[in-house]
Amino acid sequence: MTEPDLNRIWVYLSASPLLGLTMTLVAYSLAHRLYLRSGLNPLLNPVVTSVTALILFLLATDTSYDDYFDGAQFVHFLLGPATVALAIPLYQQFNKLKQVWLPVTVALVTGVVVGAFSSVAIARLLGASLETQLSLAPKSVTAPVGMAISEQIGGLPSLTAALVVVTGIIGAVIGSKLFDLMGIRDDSVKGIAMGMTSHGIGTARAFQVSAQMGAFSGLAMALSAFLYSVFLPWLLSITGVLG
Amino acid sequence: MSILRGFLILVLFFLLGESLRLVFLVPISGGILGLMLLTLYLMVTGGVGNAVAGASQALISVLILLIMPGLTEIFFISGKFTGQWLAVSVSLLVGTFLSVVTTLVLLNVLARKLPSGSSNHE
Repeated sequence: MTEPDLNRIWVYLSASPLLGLTMTLVAYSLAHRLYLRSGLNPLLNPVVTSVTALILFLLATDTSYDDYFDGAQFVHFLLGPATVALAIPLYQQFNKLKQVWLPVTVALVTGVVVGAFSSVAIARLLGASLETQLSLAPKSVTAPVGMAISEQIGGLPSLTAALVVVTGIIGAVIGSKLFDLMGIRDDSVKGIAMGMTSHGIGTARAFQVSAQMGAFSGLAMALSAFLYSVFLPWLLSITGVLG
Repeated sequence: MSILRGFLILVLFFLLGESLRLVFLVPISGGILGLMLLTLYLMVTGGVGNAVAGASQALISVLILLIMPGLTEIFFISGKFTGQWLAVSVSLLVGTFLSVVTTLVLLNVLARKLPSGSSNHE
């Protein structure tokens, strides 16, 4: 094959949605494999490695985000049905909640309010734009729900997604040190704190510690996603953050 | 075929949530309303069918893949946040820390009775 031929094929392919879709899938499977090989090292979380690989590829081929998204939108669209799908683990966790709902709900509601407001207040104090402040508010919610909340309240879903991932990784990495420091020994308490802050990434980490910590982390993650989506828009509007 | 039927149920609840949002102008996204409706539906009917469970598991196991396109955008619009990264980092770290500590302290006070294998006496 001669060079002009290759060039023509590239020009054709790079304008078709097929390339963006394929690149997304390739980057994901490579990153996922690397993560498994590393023995599930939280620092090699596949979100970070796959997105980095994808960005490098787009830069190297001089592809604009819009061209890329033409193909990637097919993957992106599935976030909607995937959010609905979270009803199944939520329903299954609710059974566990029956025995402990009062302390867990009180602790989570307080944690959610403190987390959302301190983040918004600090960002505002340090001069971040309203859009950035709003993107920070749902940073502890599992990514699909957090992105949906962000879009709804006027934040930037992509910024929220990035903050969700960073929060998740930080929580998973430093969580256990904080527990030691505070003298927390109960695995169910650790799990609840982990799931509330670090959602899916924290829950995966919690399952590595013990099944009990993982189960409570999953419960807290589901419950806080629910609390955030119901109360955050309302809280932001009554406190005047949302004009 | 059964995964497809499960997927159809998820899409129908998504559509239902989206319609409710538009009709009643609720400030909650259609996907989340769909999630709530499906949870309610499961509680009323008292069980999860294999089809929905399979489709849900398939989607949830690739959540990272699904957020990749949205996440990638952040790199291309990062110019928008010049000068805000310090605010974002401090807010993220301090906000997260405060919320974890609050929750832990409250749980320690309230939750002496959490069912546990490990005990809670210090």
